[in-house]
Amino acid sequence: MKNKANVVIIGGGVVGCSIAYNLAKKGVKDVVLLEKSYLSSGATGRCGAGVRQQWGTKQNCLLASESMHIFEHFEDVLQIKRDIELKQKGYLLLAYSDKELEQFKKNIEVQHSLNIPSILLTPKEAKEIVPDLNIEKLVGAAYCAKDGHANPFQVTLGYAEAAQRLGVEINKFTEVKDIITKNDTVLGVQTNKGFIECKKVVVAAGGWTQNIVKMAGLDLPIYSERHEILVTESVKNVLDPMLMSFSYNIYCQQEPNGSFIMGYGPENEPPSYNMESSWEFLETMSKKATWLLPPLKNIRVIRQWAGLYNISPDRQPIVSQINQLEGLYVACGFSGHGFMLAPAVGILMADIVTGDQLTYNVILDLERFNRGEIIEEPSVV
Amino acid sequence: MDENKVIICRCEDVTLKEIRDAIRKGFTTVEEIKRVTRSGMGPCQGKTCGLLIAKEISQMTGKPMEEIELQSIRPPYGGITFEEVTKGTVMENDK
Amino acid sequence: MSKIQNLELLVVGGGPAGLSAALAAANYGIKVSLTEEREFLGGQLIKQTHRFFGSEKEYAGTRGIDILKKLIDEVNKNNNIEVLLSSRVLGIYEDNIVTILNDHKMKKYYPQSIIFATGASEKFLAFENNDLPGIFGAGAVQTLMNVYGVMPATNVLMIGSGNIGLIVCYQLLQAGVKVAAIVEAAPKIGGYSVHASKLRRLGVPILTSHTIKKAIGKEKVEGAVICELDSNWNEVKGTEQLIKCDAICLSVGLTPLVDLLKQRKVKTTYVSELGGYVPLRDENMETSIKNLFVAGDVSGIEEATAAMIEGQIAGLSVAKRIGKNSKDEIEERIEEAKNELELLRSGPVGKKIRKGLSKLGLNHGKNYNEKFSEEALDISHLMKTGVPSEENLKNKLPSEEKVFDKGPIAISECFQRFPCDPCVKSCPFNAISENGNINNIPYVDFEKCTGCGICVSKCPGLAMFVIHKNFSETTSVVIMPYEFLPRPHKGEIVKVFDREGKYLCDGKVIRILDGKFQDKTAAVSIEIPKEYYLQARNFKVEEGNHG
Repeated sequence: MKNKANVVIIGGGVVGCSIAYNLAKKGVKDVVLLEKSYLSSGATGRCGAGVRQQWGTKQNCLLASESMHIFEHFEDVLQIKRDIELKQKGYLLLAYSDKELEQFKKNIEVQHSLNIPSILLTPKEAKEIVPDLNIEKLVGAAYCAKDGHANPFQVTLGYAEAAQRLGVEINKFTEVKDIITKNDTVLGVQTNKGFIECKKVVVAAGGWTQNIVKMAGLDLPIYSERHEILVTESVKNVLDPMLMSFSYNIYCQQEPNGSFIMGYGPENEPPSYNMESSWEFLETMSKKATWLLPPLKNIRVIRQWAGLYNISPDRQPIVSQINQLEGLYVACGFSGHGFMLAPAVGILMADIVTGDQLTYNVILDLERFNRGEIIEEPSVV
Repeated sequence: MDENKVIICRCEDVTLKEIRDAIRKGFTTVEEIKRVTRSGMGPCQGKTCGLLIAKEISQMTGKPMEEIELQSIRPPYGGITFEEVTKGTVMENDK
Repeated sequence: MSKIQNLELLVVGGGPAGLSAALAAANYGIKVSLTEEREFLGGQLIKQTHRFFGSEKEYAGTRGIDILKKLIDEVNKNNNIEVLLSSRVLGIYEDNIVTILNDHKMKKYYPQSIIFATGASEKFLAFENNDLPGIFGAGAVQTLMNVYGVMPATNVLMIGSGNIGLIVCYQLLQAGVKVAAIVEAAPKIGGYSVHASKLRRLGVPILTSHTIKKAIGKEKVEGAVICELDSNWNEVKGTEQLIKCDAICLSVGLTPLVDLLKQRKVKTTYVSELGGYVPLRDENMETSIKNLFVAGDVSGIEEATAAMIEGQIAGLSVAKRIGKNSKDEIEERIEEAKNELELLRSGPVGKKIRKGLSKLGLNHGKNYNEKFSEEALDISHLMKTGVPSEENLKNKLPSEEKVFDKGPIAISECFQRFPCDPCVKSCPFNAISENGNINNIPYVDFEKCTGCGICVSKCPGLAMFVIHKNFSETTSVVIMPYEFLPRPHKGEIVKVFDREGKYLCDGKVIRILDGKFQDKTAAVSIEIPKEYYLQARNFKVEEGNHG
């Protein structure tokens, strides 16, 4: 392991690996990525694997559509051979009230301004796309045919592979124990395998980001929360798009191998680092899923697990320099949509770290909370 | 032994070659190999392939079996349909 | 929210360990719910048609299936035990709620204590074409045959010579299935020598230091290529041979089914002597999680008798922990059970288990007697081939030829040390002795022996024979145990074989003892030319004679 680096990235999920790749692509030498377990062992490897561009704010739409473009051309962009199992059969967002439908209309306008091909659908039209859909109480839907699914492990490994080819050193099973600073400047990182002297540290540690940053004596306004998920046995392909509803609170898609993967946002879940499963989730999820897609009732659930959402005050990412400490950067607070934004976030973070002009006109800095500039993103589960 | 003709994970049809390739690429834990090859993701959840994969890791990396962990196990064991779950949630006096 | 049922003790698994655990706890007033995923109780015991070894207390001499009947009977009569069949435990969560699939519903329970007796699963083997239809686990074949009456194949190649492999081969033969060979990678036979000897007498080749290279067949198994291994487990070039068969049985070991334990984050560790990943547990079978116990194969691969005693220890431990009954009496019972277990594990065949247990930090040594930890005789040839050496045989035969003149005498062809004494217990003339210790090999006092032949049917290893050398001037009679159908008729001519299954001569059946007392192990007296009296050890009924 190197004992001196230009930039140390803490966190080997999709965001960390994307940042590593993009820094190296910009010509930054001596980039070291540290991951305490195996790559994608955190939220990346536990998420619902959905990728969508149907967001309500210009910022998210921009990052999402740029990311989608990269997903679509992944092998070319990264110059690797790797199937990321991109499935673009759409996201069907379900509205159960007029108010919700109105919001979808507004969102679609924002999406169109960035050339995202989303459309509004009637319940009948929604049912044409998903014949098994229970459209009782459905008021309307938003749909983007280009949204869908990608394999989080493969995307992460793709970024890691490309990053290594460009000289990034990736150290798995290497845990950060301390961030050493002096006079408000980063000096280096202490790990369980030794000390790395460096000037810049990027923390992209998902649910554990606040703990890492605390090592440098700083607090971040983020907390982590367990979200549960389950997967079923494989059956023949019957569901094209990802189904999602904010008001009914559910997301459900069928992966390319035929399994259904689904979850919902828990109520009354306390901040924690808990990644254990609950029987309550299994019961509630079963009820929701079979209401939405009645034929699911005979399909077997074979595994449930959980991961951490890292939640920011406005549930929007924090991709930012930390002003209180020279050399410290964070990419966190993705609040459940880190995977789908990772390609663009990697570019954004790389720009911020190198001080280059920002590729994207997107401000996701930490200080926005002090400025009172909360980004209201209406489309979150 | 033709590694391509030896099945390690029967549920997902993962061959010995795929397992060994993954180990050669630096994936030296059962959890990583699971994510890279899909071994252990089928109905038996690693009962058949787990020990064999651990042995391969041990042989190829020199790590003793005592230091190799098998994949994590999570509910529901043996699988259950959504209907069976929901039927169980019906209150006694709802019937 | 639907109801969560409170329980005192949940026993997961209705095999010998689970049944014993349930009974032990219930007998001290604990309300037990015993859950079993199959539609019937019994676990592996339901397929064990052979007689058990061990001591009287552990049902020695009784067939596994009959031991099971007794246990199930007791369980059904016990008002403190509720049996839930077709009930599979799905999950055990952080809050200690247990979900069970029963009657097509997911039901929830909150047990004060749990005993996991979930048994083991069969290991798989990596070789070419190992996914061809016709490749089974040996246990699976045993279930097909013994539980469902389905013939799995017509000609089986068995991989592995542990007790399961040997016993299943014997059962295959009893069912009319051919066994092409037994292939064993190690240089010696893994199971008890008596099981192997039975098979050699029946003509089954046992190939030690051999392994399977590949399965052959287009859409299903048609054969297998095997080869020899050198002392470093490497293939010896030029030793490939093709064995024709239509099924390959894998008997390459069992591994504990710790899935449910792992859900609950019970600490496990790898111990190869115990079959793989086993739960860490103390002498009272309690795991790293309080009130979560284990018993039987899930705690380490052993066999049914140990499973039953471990079940008792776990059940008694729960009774002591949460019951209202006399703790002192329960503690005494626990100590008794632990002593029984240690006795069972003393002796050469218990070496592996003892080594495994010591890796778990479990102190086994109280009843462990150095004297019995090694074999009494040099049985290296026996353990390599399944056939005793001349030396071994000489050791058991009368030292003087004239002893044969007095009449029929029993000869014990049991050469390996393990705890077992039905032969001793069965002799009405006290002519068989193990010198006061169940771990010793038995010797016949030829003075006392009358050659009655009772022991022939009682020995679980089918290792007792009665030789009447001077039945007539030219013929001898050998009484042999017989567990096949059809039974021969009196007066019938049969083919007689030696210990290697080689044809010796024709013989005449002059008597068959096959009543209730013989419990399906007929004692058949065969008259043969005198020159073969020391070699004739098996016979086959001619198909033609029985239509």
